[in-house]
Amino acid sequence: MAPPAADFPPPQFFARPPLSNPPLDPTPPPPPPQQLYSRPPSSMLSTPPPPIPSKAPPFASPPPFAAPHQFQGLQGPPPSHPPPPPPQAPYFGGSPAYQQQQQQPLPPPSQGYFAGIAPPLPGVAAPPGHDIADEFESLSISSAPGTAADVKVEALPRPPPDSCDTFAQPAWSNCHPRYFELTTNAIPASHSLAARWHLPLGAVIHPLAEAPPEEQVPVVDFGTSGIVRCRRCRTYINPYDKFTDGGKYFRCAICNLLNDVPMDYVCALDEQGKRRDAMDRPELSQGSVDFVAPMEYMVRPPMPPVYFFLIDVSVAAVRSGILQIAADTIKSCLDKLPGYPRTQIGFLTFDSTLHFYSLKSSLTQPQMVVLAQVDDPFLPMPDDLLVNLSESRLVVEALLDSLPSIFANNENVESALGPALEATTSIMSEIGGKLLIFQSTLPSLGVGRLKLRGQEAHVYQTDREPALRVAEDSFYKQMAAKCSKLQIGVNVYAFSEKYTDVASLGTLAKYTGGQVCYYPGFHAAVDGEKLTYDLSRDLTRETAWEAVMRIRCGKGIKYSVFHGHFMLRSSDLLALPAVDCDKAFSVQFALEDTLLTSQLAYFQVALLYTSSSGERRIRVHTAAVPIVQELSVMYKEANIGAVVGVLSRLAVEKSLNDKLENARQYVHVKMVNALREYKNMYAVKHSLIGRIIFPESLKLLPLYVLALSKSLPLRGGFMDATPDERSAAGYQMMTMSRPSLLKLLYPALIRLDEYLLQGSRGGGVDSPPQLPLTAEVLDPRGAFVTSDGQRFVLWLGNVLQPEFVAAILGPQVAHSSDLRKVPVVEQDNDLSKRFHALLAKLRKQNRWCHQQCVVVRQGESGRELQLVHSNMVEDRGAGFPSYMEWMVQIHRQVQQKI
Amino acid sequence: MAWDLALWILSFLAVAAALGIIVYQLLCLSDLEFDFINPFDSSSRINRFVLPEFAIQGVLSAIYLIFGYWLMFLLNAPLLYYNIRLYMSKRHLVDVTEIFNQLEPEKKIRFYKLGFYLSLLCIVIYR
Repeated sequence: MAPPAADFPPPQFFARPPLSNPPLDPTPPPPPPQQLYSRPPSSMLSTPPPPIPSKAPPFASPPPFAAPHQFQGLQGPPPSHPPPPPPQAPYFGGSPAYQQQQQQPLPPPSQGYFAGIAPPLPGVAAPPGHDIADEFESLSISSAPGTAADVKVEALPRPPPDSCDTFAQPAWSNCHPRYFELTTNAIPASHSLAARWHLPLGAVIHPLAEAPPEEQVPVVDFGTSGIVRCRRCRTYINPYDKFTDGGKYFRCAICNLLNDVPMDYVCALDEQGKRRDAMDRPELSQGSVDFVAPMEYMVRPPMPPVYFFLIDVSVAAVRSGILQIAADTIKSCLDKLPGYPRTQIGFLTFDSTLHFYSLKSSLTQPQMVVLAQVDDPFLPMPDDLLVNLSESRLVVEALLDSLPSIFANNENVESALGPALEATTSIMSEIGGKLLIFQSTLPSLGVGRLKLRGQEAHVYQTDREPALRVAEDSFYKQMAAKCSKLQIGVNVYAFSEKYTDVASLGTLAKYTGGQVCYYPGFHAAVDGEKLTYDLSRDLTRETAWEAVMRIRCGKGIKYSVFHGHFMLRSSDLLALPAVDCDKAFSVQFALEDTLLTSQLAYFQVALLYTSSSGERRIRVHTAAVPIVQELSVMYKEANIGAVVGVLSRLAVEKSLNDKLENARQYVHVKMVNALREYKNMYAVKHSLIGRIIFPESLKLLPLYVLALSKSLPLRGGFMDATPDERSAAGYQMMTMSRPSLLKLLYPALIRLDEYLLQGSRGGGVDSPPQLPLTAEVLDPRGAFVTSDGQRFVLWLGNVLQPEFVAAILGPQVAHSSDLRKVPVVEQDNDLSKRFHALLAKLRKQNRWCHQQCVVVRQGESGRELQLVHSNMVEDRGAGFPSYMEWMVQIHRQVQQKI
Repeated sequence: MAWDLALWILSFLAVAAALGIIVYQLLCLSDLEFDFINPFDSSSRINRFVLPEFAIQGVLSAIYLIFGYWLMFLLNAPLLYYNIRLYMSKRHLVDVTEIFNQLEPEKKIRFYKLGFYLSLLCIVIYR
């Protein structure tokens, strides 16, 4: 949900004053008197902003998503990327157009369309004092589904479809924003200016993001001569280094030092002082390159990819089918594991005892050794526990075939995770690698045993609350530190329906660049597909081993805090034992100098890693951003995706040492301050007291902050989510890339029955329209799908035709009342085929995790609430108001204390 | 009299030892800050001496209490209480995973302790 494409008419509400907009000039309809307050969003929308008279009826016939171009005119200056900011550029200065827009009154309420839904806008226009509250009440969205629903879709200001996945074009020679995206493409020139930008000044970094084939990062090999770098700050050569003196020297963009160019790298300059070969050399023309690192970048020979599986085989794991699925999946991935023929693999299973497997290539069957004494585990046959896959392939396959049957009758309920971890780390200590932990119960034996907690409601709202979200036993932190030191990256798969203390287990992943996958109440028939996908993706995706990442910033700017899954090895070096294409981080910057005098600020992200093929490489992303003097430019160039990315990580981190309430408040205050600052900037000039105005770039900020406050890690209190769900979602949020995060916060809602039927009648609709996320649109006669990037929820209305259900889910499902364990499989008919084609299409946009489809019927009390209504971020819930109420509330707060 | 002398020597040694520990820990922290050692070594070195320091301070306070040096005990009491509280809530050790975030507060508290032990040393010497 990125920079709002122009799909919706920008409500005046958000009025980022589109100056310079000729179409605006035609004076709008006569302003209703004393209209001080321009509408909160949804409402505002209902009245098409005057500037679009030509399409005055844009909503009259519910057009599927107003064509973007229609409103282009309103957007004001097109987002200029490379933001060419001569700071003086009159972005908003008091241009007349701006003024006009500000004063545009709302046209008279259009009756009819919005009757059911649309909050009465006109009312809002009244002075905030009295009417808002009343208006407000009347806004409450009661059920009036039907035709009105369509209208509403267009009426609400929401992220346009697909906006999550679209990035702005990179400016100049900058790296693509999918790798490095700043919260605002304008760095403040002074402390005082930075202090007035109340949002985080930072960036979301996704160093290994997947790129389409035509945009692969080029590989540059300097051979034995070594990579050209600044000799003082060690910045890698990049397109912003300036060559002088006939190409003999170059000036480092970051620290401004004049460096010698190595003899064999010298090249003549052209008239503009550019190197003549600049276009032939990716490192001088592109923002992202992969350097091949020579020997001096290695402390040891590049490690082979290592996969070690630590599998809980206690009764819960066996009964739920996890063991079977995991073994099958691993076996099917053996051919696809990266790094053939160097790949190494090993297994250890545990319940109350530890089971080691010797996989020596000379054996025909794996040898199993059971270690019953878990207090001080030692390694039997230490050399054969981690073996080369290509040599021991047959033994490994034999083991995977027999694992499920060996433990088929296991009745052991204990789980000695701690001792198993200690044994595993000593097996892996030589090389490091990736450790996958499959945990189905609460660890109950030996070191690192955990106890049940978080079951008492009264802990919430007290000082003891945040402790629920961090590791209970310091064992896990120490183990995580040890893993990081030994170059072991941990991924945790947790399955139990009961409390497993994901907060503690996840600590292992948190400091080693890993991830936490949580499948509460795993049921093989339903969740098997998801586990299979997630696990194979984990095993086969592009992975960078024994990596470290560092960020260098131009003069006067300094990184201040990092967020994500890593461990700091020195104050600015992120240790990432195993990092892959699905891990993103965020960083915040601070100004070191009180005044920045240069024109541009430079950032360089460097990730030094070993590729799966055993080559040492450095991935370097470089970006340059203008330094500006004007706050308005900062707001104009704000990047909602990155802002939300940093804010959500901040909020999750805050929730680890503070109450949920305070974590939500923390984000809220930042947003309100930013909006107030923005308002004041114009209120002074144009006496706009009583109106709330937004920068166009941040018009979705309130919606996302609302969604964030209702998201799983931060939602409500004791009743709203189990501690495990919260922790797992929190860990996930810390590593999410911008597209998946935005998708999660504001899922897509699609009306399925119409889309499918329409298609079968030949009216091929490419992408179904997205609906606003409110229960209002859920028509009992219809079927709807929400897609939040993690799963699909198929909601079936009460009076939906049973034939339709039978067609897409199979006849036996149509009348069954328990949909909990219904697998969604393709049926042999057109509807179902189209349905699965749609799911496949949506899944393709989102490859980092498998979107399981779950089915829920209207009125299934508990599940409907949990699966569907918790996603309806525009409705009231979890102690938070509806979108409309939220806007009014924010408006009031923005007005207060200036 | 002999008791008194023994006690004086004991307090002197104890305070000097505690002082040494604190200085050593501060050195580790600043080395870490300037990237001379890695967080694993730094925190293990610091943690090795956390409990000895607590013990020295505790024993010293106990001796003052037993032998009736009320004023000296009162001086030590606040720190004793702080140390015990820290220990009871298991926050006395430096957390290697978060050491960079805790750098500033950890340094600050050690500077306070440094000041405290220095003044204690003066008192022991000149009283």
